[in-house]
Amino acid sequence: MSAADCEQRETGWGILEDLPGDPMIWVLIFSELAAFGLFLGAFIVARAIHPAAFAAGQATLDAHLAGINTVVLVTSGWAAARGTAAARAGRRQAARGWLFGAMALGAFFIAVKLFEYAGEIAQGNGLETSPFFTLYFLLTGFHLLHVGLGIVILAVVSRNAEASGVETGAAFWHMVDLLWVVMFPIIYLVQS
Amino acid sequence: MIPGRLDVTWIALIGLALATMLVPSLVARPLLGNALLLAFAALKGHRIVLDFLDLRAAPALWRGFVSAWLVIVLLLAWLASAAVALI
Repeated sequence: MSAADCEQRETGWGILEDLPGDPMIWVLIFSELAAFGLFLGAFIVARAIHPAAFAAGQATLDAHLAGINTVVLVTSGWAAARGTAAARAGRRQAARGWLFGAMALGAFFIAVKLFEYAGEIAQGNGLETSPFFTLYFLLTGFHLLHVGLGIVILAVVSRNAEASGVETGAAFWHMVDLLWVVMFPIIYLVQS
Repeated sequence: MIPGRLDVTWIALIGLALATMLVPSLVARPLLGNALLLAFAALKGHRIVLDFLDLRAAPALWRGFVSAWLVIVLLLAWLASAAVALI
C-alpha cells in the first residue's frame, strides 16, 4: 500500500479534501447542481416545446422584483465570503457580523419572493395553471427552500465562527447564490 | 480569499446584475438579447465560482466540473431559444 493510499484511507475523502470546508458539503453541492441542472434542462426543453405558453406565463412575472433579489443575493454572498475571510483570520466577532448580514439579506430575499408569489397567486396563477407555472413554482420554490436551509446552516456555523465551519456554511450559501444567478435570466428574461 | 478581491467581485456582480436588467429594453432582437443575458449570467457565475466558492485554488477537476455545469446549462438555454426563433 502506497503512502498516498494510506493518507486517503486516513481521511476517507480523497481529492475532496482539497476543497474549502467539510468535504460532505461538497457531495451535497455537486448533487444539488446535478438536480437543479436536470430541472432547468426540463424547463428549457418544455419552453422549446410550448414557446407561446411560456412567453405568456413569463410576461406575467415581475422581473424587476427578481432583479432586486439578484442584487440582494449576490450581496449576501459577498457578506458570507467576507465572513469566511474574517473567520480564517481568526476574527470571530467580525465573522459573526458578516454572517448575520448574509442571513438578514437571505431573509429579505425570502420576503421579496413570497411577496412576488402573492402577486402571482392573486392573478390566478398556480401550480396547475400551465406547464410554465408548474415548472416555475417548483423550480423557484425548491430554490427558496434552499435559501431557508442556507440561513439555518449559516446560523449554526456562526455560533462558533470557526474557520472550517464557516467555510462549510458559506460554500452551501454560494451554491444557492450561483443557482439563482443562472435561474434568473432563464426563467424571467430569456425570450422564446 | 482576499477581501479586496471579494469587494471587486461584488461590485462586478452588481454591475452585471444591473446590466442584465437593462438588456430586454435595450436589445430588441431575441437572439442577441438572449446571448447577452446568458453571457452576463456566465460571467456572474464564473466570478462566484472562483472568488466566493473559492475554487480559484482548488483542483482543476472541481473547478472544471462546476464551470462545465454553468456553461452547459446556459448554452442549452441559448441553443433552445435560438432553435425556437429560427424555426
